[in-house]
Amino acid sequence: MNGRIIAFCCEHSAYPAADLAGRLRLHYPESLRVIRVPCAGRVDVIHILKALEKGASAVLVLGCEDGACHHITGNIRAKERVKQCNVLLKEIGVDGRRAVMFSLSPNAPHKFVRVANDIAKTMKESREAR
Amino acid sequence: MKNIDFDAVAEKVARMPGVTCVNLVSHLCLDEGREKMIASIREENLDRVIVAACSPEFKEHIFRQALEDAGLNGHLLAMANIREQCSWAHEGDVTEKAVELIKMATNRARLLQPLERKELPVNRKVLVIGGGFSAIDTALHLSRVGLRTTLLEKEAVLGTGTGEWQSLHGFDNSSMTAAVEGDRNIDVLASARMTAAEGTIGDFTVTITREGEEISRKYGAIVLATGFRTELAPTSTLKLRTQAEPISGISIVSQEQLFHMLHNSIVEAKPRTIGFMFDFSDENSRFPTLTTLNNALAAKNKWGSEIYIFCKNVKVDSEGAEKLYREARECGVVFLKCETTPRMSMDNGRVAVEARDVFLGEDTIIACDLLVAEELLLPIAGTETLSSLLNIRLDSRGFYQDENVHLYPVASEKKGVFVIGGCRGNLDMGRVLTDISSVVMSIHELLSSGKIQVEIERVKADPQKCVACLTCIRVCPHSAIQLIRVDTGKDVAVISDLACDACGVCAAICPAKAIEFQGYRDDQTLAQIEAIGES
Repeated sequence: MNGRIIAFCCEHSAYPAADLAGRLRLHYPESLRVIRVPCAGRVDVIHILKALEKGASAVLVLGCEDGACHHITGNIRAKERVKQCNVLLKEIGVDGRRAVMFSLSPNAPHKFVRVANDIAKTMKESREAR
Repeated sequence: MKNIDFDAVAEKVARMPGVTCVNLVSHLCLDEGREKMIASIREENLDRVIVAACSPEFKEHIFRQALEDAGLNGHLLAMANIREQCSWAHEGDVTEKAVELIKMATNRARLLQPLERKELPVNRKVLVIGGGFSAIDTALHLSRVGLRTTLLEKEAVLGTGTGEWQSLHGFDNSSMTAAVEGDRNIDVLASARMTAAEGTIGDFTVTITREGEEISRKYGAIVLATGFRTELAPTSTLKLRTQAEPISGISIVSQEQLFHMLHNSIVEAKPRTIGFMFDFSDENSRFPTLTTLNNALAAKNKWGSEIYIFCKNVKVDSEGAEKLYREARECGVVFLKCETTPRMSMDNGRVAVEARDVFLGEDTIIACDLLVAEELLLPIAGTETLSSLLNIRLDSRGFYQDENVHLYPVASEKKGVFVIGGCRGNLDMGRVLTDISSVVMSIHELLSSGKIQVEIERVKADPQKCVACLTCIRVCPHSAIQLIRVDTGKDVAVISDLACDACGVCAAICPAKAIEFQGYRDDQTLAQIEAIGES
């Protein structure tokens, strides 16, 4: 999958933010692939692990801000699940930074772009270090 | 979308397994494009459709409708967002990425399944909890659109807690209660409380306790209009308590007490100087601003007192507040903007307020005959009980979900339960009236036809796989899952199609993987991942 970043985007916050980034012509790495989910809480451990197994360089789970989740606790569940993933990844010796969760609101395209650029940069650096 | 070579995309997509035909259409969402789409579905006898165009956020429903018009189930559509998230987001040629996004959609489309729609009957009665202005007005409006309403009030008569409204807007209690009495669609249960509630939208079973006797009733929707209460802020009173001198009861009053002094009781000596305080402890001071401005103007007109208003900010975003503020300034009310809560002390029966005005940049001491203390707006007692009975959450200030920007203003996370007025922290007349209108419209839309259209089994727990571990029931944010005993004698989780809001949290958390969410099934998501980086 050569260095693709997979972003699971909640359709209430991160997905509109990604759309807005496009409409504002804010550029982010071309390697980013967005998968739309109804809530960040829908993302399962298996989705994240499969994506990494297939060769994705990083997986982002993007949900609503704390206290402002459309499904009330979906973002908290997602955070727990990503944490669980990090534990599993650590056990098999994979860099935990490759699965991360971020909160953003639908009117935050700049944050979306910053998150995407940051993760791409981190992954590039860790590739070069190796 | 100049950076995508559409002919190359079409050529590559046509070679993908399962793809029957590729059409390049310039304006798919217009009538002309939709007709072309429908014709193509009919001609080629298609069973799945992929639209590679703009974001599904805008036009997905239009394309779904086009599929329905062509005789195909709307859920057999997959969209590839090649405009916002591909062409517009990158510079340079992105044909490769567009092909990959379409490949992801194709993989997902192959696994999509149709969803059946069904009409379910709903109860047309509404329960309104509360007996204040917003509750009564909601009931009257609902009656006008032909829905029967029960007003549930914990006090013996309606309209007991409406003192503040009377002072602000001249709200007349008696005419409204008379209108309720004369209305055949409204039925009042006074001195009663809700003690249990179960069920989902269209079919709530509520237990009401009234004078020791329990009544069970069925409703289609529940409206919470329980209001708010005020309390003197500790900052304005505590600081004085530390002083050696006793607090004279008359020097420090609440807004309501001042209102009664102004309108009802005879005051022996007119207070020459009055101080007001607000916006120090709680910055959510839309309502205190209104009461302060109203009372200050009334005191100025009736007593001709000198008036000083100590505040951090004057919030004039409610209707008419800007005008009131200007009037107050014009008739000589002095506003002192302070960053910190003023210091107070007793001085010969007067309250000396020491404040630092940020514009003057120096300390000012003003001795007031009367100080109207800062008030905190709080949810009424019993809010927590009601919220746990109905399974809806409170925000950090204890009101119903006021801070969650993702919920529609009057909606709670539970479908069919609405919150309006003061109990959700919405505290000025204009906003309360808007709340009433929107709740009446929402309920009218939901219940007036007596039936509701739902997609059945969108999220479904497989009774064979379910081990009744209750995990899904605990995590469901909309309390849509119940444990029901099936014919075999086994308990299984059953998801209500009416109450479910399709978030999929249960599907992700189920340890037995018994819950399937059509459209976002595990295999559908994994198939999308499968397509990434293939080409």
